[in-house]
Formats: sequence, C-alpha cells, structure tokens
Amino acid sequence: MIVTTTAAARPEHVLRGLAVRQVRRGGLVVTAVCACMSALVVVGYRSEALDPAALAALARNPAIRTLFGEPVALDQAGGFTVWRTSVVLAVLLGVWTMLTATRITRGEEDAGRWNLLLSGRITLPEAVRQHLGVLAVVPVLVGAATAVAMIAAGVDATGSLLHGTGLAAVGLFFVAVGGVTAQLFVSRSESNGVAAAVLVVGLLMRMVGDGVPALAWLRWLSPFGLMALTRPFDTNRGLPVSVLAFAAVLLMALAGRLAARRDVGAAILATPGSRPARTTLLGSVPAFAVRRTMRPLAAWSAGIGAYFLLLGLIAQSMTEFLAGNPEFASMAAQAGFPALGTVEGYAATLYALLAVPVGVFVAVRLAATAADENARRLTLLLAAPVTRARLLGAEAAAAGCAALVLITVAGIAMWAGTATVHAGLAPGDALAGAWNVTPVVLLCLGAAVLALGWAPRAVAAIGALPAAGGFLWQVVADSIDAPTWTRALSPFTHLAAVPSTAPAWPAASVMAGIAAAGVIVGTIGYRRRDLSA
Amino acid sequence: MGVSALRTENLSKRYGRLLALDGLSLDVAAGEVFGFLGPNGAGKSTTIRLLLGLARPTSGRAWIFDTDAADVAAAHRRLAYVPADVALWPRMTGAEVLDLLARVGPGTDTAYRDELIQRFALDVSKPAGTYSTGNRQKVALVAAFATRAPLLVLDEPTSGLDPLMELQFRQAVGVARDNGQTVFLSSHQLAEVEAVCDRVGILRAGELVEVASVAQLRRLHHTDVAATFPGTPPDLAGVQGVDGLHEDGATSVRFTLSGSPAAALRALADADVTTIVVREQSLEEIFLAYYGHNAR
Repeated sequence: MIVTTTAAARPEHVLRGLAVRQVRRGGLVVTAVCACMSALVVVGYRSEALDPAALAALARNPAIRTLFGEPVALDQAGGFTVWRTSVVLAVLLGVWTMLTATRITRGEEDAGRWNLLLSGRITLPEAVRQHLGVLAVVPVLVGAATAVAMIAAGVDATGSLLHGTGLAAVGLFFVAVGGVTAQLFVSRSESNGVAAAVLVVGLLMRMVGDGVPALAWLRWLSPFGLMALTRPFDTNRGLPVSVLAFAAVLLMALAGRLAARRDVGAAILATPGSRPARTTLLGSVPAFAVRRTMRPLAAWSAGIGAYFLLLGLIAQSMTEFLAGNPEFASMAAQAGFPALGTVEGYAATLYALLAVPVGVFVAVRLAATAADENARRLTLLLAAPVTRARLLGAEAAAAGCAALVLITVAGIAMWAGTATVHAGLAPGDALAGAWNVTPVVLLCLGAAVLALGWAPRAVAAIGALPAAGGFLWQVVADSIDAPTWTRALSPFTHLAAVPSTAPAWPAASVMAGIAAAGVIVGTIGYRRRDLSA
Repeated sequence: MGVSALRTENLSKRYGRLLALDGLSLDVAAGEVFGFLGPNGAGKSTTIRLLLGLARPTSGRAWIFDTDAADVAAAHRRLAYVPADVALWPRMTGAEVLDLLARVGPGTDTAYRDELIQRFALDVSKPAGTYSTGNRQKVALVAAFATRAPLLVLDEPTSGLDPLMELQFRQAVGVARDNGQTVFLSSHQLAEVEAVCDRVGILRAGELVEVASVAQLRRLHHTDVAATFPGTPPDLAGVQGVDGLHEDGATSVRFTLSGSPAAALRALADADVTTIVVREQSLEEIFLAYYGHNAR
C-alpha cells in the first residue's frame, strides 16, 4: 500500500527547522565578521610596538577607559585585540541577537503567522523556547569561531577561549533580553525599543564604571562590564562571565515562563483597554508624520544625549592626556583622529561619530514608512485625496527635521558636559561641530528616499549605507593605508574638523546636491511604482 | 445616458507573466449600486487598486466622475474606500483613526458618523491593536459611510462581520443609495450582492464575462436536490426544471433544479418520497456551472 500522507514529523524538529531558516544567514555573517576582525587585529598587532610606560599611562586615564574600556594586557597581541574589538563586537552581536530574537518570535506572531503554526500540536511556550534555543546557538558559534580564529592567528589559548566565552555570554544575554521583551510587549517595535534601552543603559554603565573608580561596581550590573571584568590575557577571571551566563539562563527560563502565562497575540503587559482620544497632530498628513516621529525621537534623543554628555564630561581628561603623551597623539592622528589634543579637535573628531546613529535614525524612520505600506496601513490614507508625493514629502521632512533635532541635542549635551568640567568649549562651537555632520545625514535621507522609490524592501540597509557603511569604509581604508581615491568614496573624508577648522562648504554642497538628486529620483520611482498597499 | 460615476476603458494590468486584468471596460452610472463579483484571484482587488491609483495600469485608463483616476488629489475628493483587509496603526484608538480619516478625507458628516458608531456597536476608545478583524473593518466602514463622497468603493467589506452587522451594512448601503451616492461593491458573497445591488459585473480570470441586472443573475441559480424513495425512484427525466439527473443507489436520486420547482415537487410527491434534501448551490458552484455553459 502506498502511504500518501506526510510522515508525522516530531513538531519540535519542524519548529527548529523553521527557526534555523530564519537565523542562518544573519548568524553566518555575524560569525564571520567577529572571527575575521579579531584575527586581523591579532595579525596587525605584531607590526606595532608600544612603550610600557606609555601603556601604563594609557591604562590609568579615565577618558580612555570610558571610551574604549579598561586597557589590560596591551603588551600582548591578545590583550590588545580584546581591548580594540570587544566593545564593538559585543555591541554588534548584542544588537543582532536582540533584534533577531524579537523578529523571529514577536515579529512572526505580530504578522499573524504563528496563528496557523500554533493551531497544531505546538504550544506557545514551546515555540518561544525552540526559537530562542536555536538562536542561542549563534552566539556560541560566534564565541567559538572568534576564539579559534585568535588561536589560529597565534595568541594564547586560555585568553582566547575566555574572550570567546565572554562574547558568547553577551550574545546569549541579549537573545534572552529580546525573548523576554517579546513576551512583555504586544508589538515588535515596543519589544525592540525596550531591549535597545537595556543595551544602551548597559553600555553607559560600563563606560561610567570604567571611567569613575568610585562607581566601578556598576560594571557588575552591565553585560558589557561583566565581559570586560573577565580580563582575558591578564588575570583571566571566570566569575564575571559565569554571572553573565547565569543571568542569561535565568532570563531565558523567564521568557519561557512568561510565554506560558499569556495568550497568543497578547502580551504580559496588556495595552490599556480604553482611553480618551488624543487628537493633536491628526489634522493633516504632515502633522500625522510628525506625530508618529515623536516617540522614536524622544527615545533616540535620550540615548544620543546621554552618550554625548558623557563624551563632554571626559573631554578635559582626554585632551590633557593626549597633550602630555605625544606618542599617543601621533598614533591617534595616524588612526584618523587628528588634533585630539585640543577640546575643539576632540569635539570635531567625536562629532563625526554622531553621523552614524543619526543617519541610521533617518533610515529607520523611512523604513517604518515602507513597513507601513507593506502592512497596508497607508491604504486608507492614500485612498483620501493625498498624493503619494505629498505623503512621501511629509514622511521625509519629518524624519529630516527630527534628525536635525537629534544633532542639536547631541551638540547641547556635549556642550553641557564640557561646561561641567570647564573644558572651555564655546556653545556656538559645540553646535557648529554637531551641525557639521548634516550633509552625511542628508545623504542617508537621499539614499532612503531613493530606496523607498525603487527598492522598498531595502530602505533601512540602503538608507544607513552612507553613514554606517561610509564610516566602516573610512576605518578600513585608514587601517590598510588605502589609496586616496578609495578614501574619497566615504562621505566622512569630506567632512571638515569643525569646530577646530571652518566647515568645508563646497564638499557639503556637493553632498547636499547628491542627497537632493536621491530624493528627486526616489520620489519619481515612488510615484510611478505599484504600492504594496 | 447619465453621468458615469466610474468608467474604465480597456484597463489591463500585468504582473510579470500573469495578466491579472485583461481589457476591462466598465461603466457604472451615478446613483447605481453595482456589485462586482468573481472568485478569488479573478482580478477584483486589482481593478480596485487601479481605480484608486495604488497600482499603475499596464494599459487602458480609468475615470472617477470624468476625472482621470491617476489624478488622486482630485479623484479622491469624490470617493471613499473600504479595503478587504483593514490594517490600522495599533496604538491609535478607533476614535483617533476616524478623526484622522475625517480630517484628511473628502469631508465627513460627523453626526451620521456618531450614529454609525452606535449602529455598528464599535467601541472607539480602544486601541486598534486590540481590535478583531471585524472591528477593524467596522472602523473603515464607518469612516467611508460617514463621508459625503458621491462614490463608495467597497472591497469585500463584510468578510469579517457577523450577520447582525451585515444587516447594518445593508441598511447603510440603502441610506447611501437614498442619498444618491454610487456604491461599487466587490464581493464573492452572492446573498449580499443580491440583497443590495442593482446591477452586477462578473469577472473571471481577469476578464469581464457578464454585466447583468440582479434579476438576470437569478437565472443563474440552481438548487441541488437529493431524494430517497421506499422503492424504485420515479423517472424524472423530462420534468420541467430538472437537470443533471443521476441515480444514487437503488432508491435515491440527485438532480439540480432551476426555475419553478412545482413540476418536480408534484412528481416526487406522486412517487411517495421518504426524504428530501434541498440545498442552494454555492456561488462557486453556480460560477462553475455558468462558466461551463459559456465555455461550450
């Protein structure tokens, strides 16, 4: 007899297969980036030799500790690699695991795809546990690959393994954080927002804990702090990473428990049943765009403001250190951070970093417009007498103006920080330096509008490219001493070091012109194409 | 002929190799309630997306009251729309959504809107994220019916509503008709279309195969009948209205009935029928039968 029914596979296998399909590509990219970057820095270290006395001065400086973490074992390739890469890689891995955790659980549920899945033999807590369990394999893989890459590049196995374990533990922690917030909140965006807040607060606690000896205990409360406290290639402590892994396991168990206590499509923190209507900013399409930008703007302002306030607070210490240690000043100049010895030069250098989060903010806002279109939320608006150009114009203008607010917030925060420590940065200079990154942000806006018109699935990636991609491009070009024309591809190369020098108006005009062209071509595409609404 | 509320000329839409709509020419008169029928995937929603300017036609044109449908700023001042699958911003309450749509829309009768909210029993103080499919649909229906727009375009507007609410919907369509508004109702619910529409258009695989009044559409109706008898079934061949006759075992028959059932019922009664099951054909079956006839 021929059996025509599908063999009754065990549901957990099917679930795991489904989860693997959703995480494998991103997981491989993150693993490759972490392993390759660690190995490259190990290999690159041998060509440099550092004076031990200067290294000791470096390790004592609170500003250096705040920005880059506590420098330990810098006289070894492994220690130096951990110091240079651990924060960047931990943040990268943390952001990816957190976003992926909410995407494959709350995101799928939000889109209604889990209704069908959970109508079978699979229960909600089981689905949550299996998805988080599969995702948890990625940070373990990342940690293992990083350790193996570093050992292969020729550094000590114990330190490498401990560093890999620390990285894995941070990743696991954020898988669990994303998993818990996905149970607490009813929408994916809220879950992401709260998980991102945990990440930013953790990062700021690590920075303050490293910079202020009296608050060093704060590091025990931060995943990034715990990772740093393991001190690979130095004292090789296992306790902090055990604490972090234990916290991750507890949170993971909590996510499963919370999932068992709620309904499919609902959340632990219920949305308030009824409330009076708030009708401000509903009168027109531009007003409505502003209304939807307010909440994200407030959250991003808080994060960016806190970061630049902290940078302002350490300005004095940093500039004095570099003025007193010309060896590091010249090293910093070679690494693309010239003139860190004056407060204006310091501000100009760190303001360039501002373009990255603000550019990403603009890209994310226009990606939200694309998501609204894709989810058909724009249909009712577009069935009103509202042209597409007007809708797009309103969305882009709201995102652009919000970006200017963010930039201004960063300028004011930096000034407030420097004023507190009497570092002598004039308020006008502080604002001019912050506004100097506007052309890069405009490029992001132009790229995002272009993508919305012609490649609406890739708005976030294409929109963030000029800022995030341009920044990485410049860092890589600086490290490998690339020819000038390749450097010129990064918009950061064309930013003047305001406020220590005058703004580069011609370059800014060219970037604004390219951005305008992107907006025009994108608008043409957006008016011509079929909407998925 | 009077004013056209909605007119298309050779409207076609191609998605890659799929011809979703093939040369649709349609004219809906002002004040008419027009039903737009067709099975899933026939091209009903594609037609509406083209009429609203959400998608661009591959060829052909469309007009809303003699305004080119592509000129949405002008055309949409004269229409209101209810999508098949209503998506709302989850954190906004129903009242906020209605307020937004009234302020950007073609003008709203707020008193009638409040009445509609009562009639559809919609709790507008709740965030849209807590609404069921039917409640989201009610928000869009209230917003559309409360406008004074001369054309209402409704895409499967009652798929999520319970029978009580469907009754409210039919009443609201009646009020719109009395106000002289034109209603373009896309649906695959034959009963609903029969109840409210003056004329219907039937779409199949991207082509308009029929435009007829509801009276003409009724002729498409067949009824399935199954009957059992104590002994051998009578010979029903040739009885008026009986078609598709076949024996179903030794003591039972099945056939389809169209037109008046009197002759068939007399024949059955004479044969001392034990059980009889009469079932109205579904729209799908009618369509299949209808398309089968046309194909021949």
